[in-house]
Amino acid sequence: MLKVVVRRLLVMPFLLLGIVTATFLLAQFTKGNPLISIIGARNLGNAEIVAAAKARWGLDGSVPERYAIYVWNLAHGDLGTSFRTRQPVLTDLAQRLPATLELVIAAMLVGTLGGIGLAIVSAEFKDSAADHLARLVALMGSCLPVFWLGLIALFLFTVQTRLLPGPGRLDIRAVAPPPVTGFMLVDTLLAGDGAGFVDALRHLVLPAAVLGWSVMGIVTRMVRASMLDVMGQDYITMARAKGAGRLRVLVHHALANALIPALTILGFTFAYLITGSVLVETIFSWPGIGSYAVDAARSLDYPAITGVTIIGGLGFLLANLMTDIAYAAADPRMRDAG
Amino acid sequence: MALPPRFARSTGFAAALLSSVFVLPMGATKAAADGPLVVARAMDINSLDPARAYCDTCQIYLSAVYATLLTLAADNQTIVPSLAKSWEVSPDVTTFTFHLDPAATFSDGSPVTAADVKWSLERLKNVKGGPSYLMDSLKAIEAKDDRTVVITTTTPNSEFLGILAAPYTGIINARLATANGANAKDDAATSDTSDTWFLAHSAGAGPFVLEAYAPDDSLRLARNEAYWAKKPAVPAVVLKQTADAVTQAQMLQSGAADIAMQVDPDTAKTVASPDVTFKAVPSFNYVYAAISPAAKGAPVPLTLEVREAIALALDYKGIIDFTVGGEGKEQPSPIPNGYPGTKDLPAPVFDPARAKELLAKAGYPDGFAMELELPAMNVYGVDLSLLAQKVQQDLGKIGIKLSLKPVPFTVWASDIDSPGAPFALGFFAPDYFGSAQYVQYFGMMPDMPWAKRAGVGKEPGLDGKEQLAMYQAALAATDTAGQEKAYHDLALKMIADKIILPLVSPNLVLAYRNEVSGVRYSACCNLPLGEIEKK
Repeated sequence: MLKVVVRRLLVMPFLLLGIVTATFLLAQFTKGNPLISIIGARNLGNAEIVAAAKARWGLDGSVPERYAIYVWNLAHGDLGTSFRTRQPVLTDLAQRLPATLELVIAAMLVGTLGGIGLAIVSAEFKDSAADHLARLVALMGSCLPVFWLGLIALFLFTVQTRLLPGPGRLDIRAVAPPPVTGFMLVDTLLAGDGAGFVDALRHLVLPAAVLGWSVMGIVTRMVRASMLDVMGQDYITMARAKGAGRLRVLVHHALANALIPALTILGFTFAYLITGSVLVETIFSWPGIGSYAVDAARSLDYPAITGVTIIGGLGFLLANLMTDIAYAAADPRMRDAG
Repeated sequence: MALPPRFARSTGFAAALLSSVFVLPMGATKAAADGPLVVARAMDINSLDPARAYCDTCQIYLSAVYATLLTLAADNQTIVPSLAKSWEVSPDVTTFTFHLDPAATFSDGSPVTAADVKWSLERLKNVKGGPSYLMDSLKAIEAKDDRTVVITTTTPNSEFLGILAAPYTGIINARLATANGANAKDDAATSDTSDTWFLAHSAGAGPFVLEAYAPDDSLRLARNEAYWAKKPAVPAVVLKQTADAVTQAQMLQSGAADIAMQVDPDTAKTVASPDVTFKAVPSFNYVYAAISPAAKGAPVPLTLEVREAIALALDYKGIIDFTVGGEGKEQPSPIPNGYPGTKDLPAPVFDPARAKELLAKAGYPDGFAMELELPAMNVYGVDLSLLAQKVQQDLGKIGIKLSLKPVPFTVWASDIDSPGAPFALGFFAPDYFGSAQYVQYFGMMPDMPWAKRAGVGKEPGLDGKEQLAMYQAALAATDTAGQEKAYHDLALKMIADKIILPLVSPNLVLAYRNEVSGVRYSACCNLPLGEIEKK
């Protein structure tokens, strides 16, 4: 297993270079004019302003020249400066990635724990009303558009009942804690700000629940099918025959094995949500990577597009690696696989 | 049955956490009179440097932080003093002398001098950023003494005072900015490195100072405690990024925001709250259709007859009802209603029968097929896709079969320039109070953007010379009446060209909580934050 991990890690830089090259070229040849976000559409006919902007932002060279400069800078840890935010892309990503990770981790917790719970109920009471209800809840999570769910959730919990706060990571009028990790829950605790921690937690509930529900559907269906498969196995019958309790059979014998196929899905869902949580981020004004990526694409902000792709690509590669490791931990047969 | 102690402890903690999450009253986050004013809006900031920023949110920020020589009164018509206490204009409208208010100081307490004015405006020109075109006619600036500035322009410019009320011409503390990488030299476009510094600092003489900016999240301003004029009533302002109009309305209802800036009329109608005020006011923004005879891919020559037929086939009132539920105005010319020269212009005419006649006369009794290119977006509350469908429906009635081509904004802006789009939708908002900017962009004069697309100098009737002469006359006008007449004539000519067909000038919905007052729409500055009060 160690060999697999080392081999994966060694190949990773080359895969990333491939991703960077493909993204860079796709962005360059995409129709549209990136100068719009720098000087505005109205100035596109102003030759003097256009020439100055091209020179300043390195858009006056040929594509191979620009590619060579980009890769050289990248090798030195410089992802360029965003046309839109005028900040180094690395700074932009460092500000947004923790926000997205905080949301995605919370959503994965909601989705995974909820999904497994529903799957257990569904598998144990197959074809009963509980099964149908659990599957309906899961199906709704998968089918209902998250932007709609988000708006409805805000209306119910923020406007009508006022149980939870509105968009953002913290009360808009509150002063944010000094950014240490970028994770609001952690930073408020590090600052010794208990009220800020509760406020950050309250702000996290709705977006995490909405995003988590969409994950819940996938998890429930995957684990349920796997559980039903496992529960028909001889060793489950054996466990029951030996007098193991219902809960022990379900959780210890069935679930532990049924989770293995779900690991792949969970790993990739996590990686996907890092850049795929854009709708929830938009509705809840959550300043994360997803909305950054969409805004970058909209304005043809080449450095930002490539920066986000690197993060997304890295996320998928790491998720793949972690899934393999988790597989090995969960299934002894995998540990010796080369 | 007693619970195990560890389980009881963890259950107790979870219960406490849950109750703190759900039971904490919302009132705790409600607006306090002495708290910051929260403005929810979809922000489009591309820089916080007055010479490089160029966007709607930039207008709000810059006018709050950087005082200008002049400003626009609440009537959106009159130029009034700001940093300049008084001024004189030479009879040939090329020399402008300004006398600075001796009380004016920057936020660090240092006085605003003529040298700062000279440096700021020269930098605006030389940085060659988005708003640099405002200084196109600048010839020279002389700081006669600490309090007197003389600006000369290359050609007469009766609109120069209006330009100097634009927030992009905000005066910068030259000493402070220079120490942080800014310069006003000829090569400032590449040698000025202060862009990033301006994202975290401000150096103006406006009612607020920049406290913090987190791109795509929030922009925080604090009251300038050293402000030299009437200090703002609110101690701080937070502009909160809120992309969605429905979310903005919900924030307003819940008290999370005091003002929401992009609530469209339809969304406003869904909000039934006694705590919130919605006021629709006419805006100077508009959406138009543009016909470009010189663009590649036109299915038939887009002659004046064809263009007139298209203009007559459009149901302007229906468009306003269909797109903004009646909350908008018809706009006769590319110069918006309320701007110099627009008084008593003839309203656009809807006459499909006459349109069909003209089309037949042009040789197309059965119409033709054409593409309509549009940016796929919602702008000023108008869903351009919806608008395009209405235009498609209207033109279908006279036999013109439109196929709709929605594209991203960056593609649209590139396409209309080259290879050109024979028929397209577009939109426009003013940079300052003055009609010249519309003539410069939409007028049929040599080298102007839409003139090139329309084929000025090649297309019959579009010679370019006539409007150029009228434009020069307007800029040389020495009195308001002369200016009004010159722009009125230009507007009539632009209407007759039928290149730009304004479709709707949507009302702006001012949405705010009842404890807030002083909210108004400004033609130069969008939302003047310094005038807003909160009970």
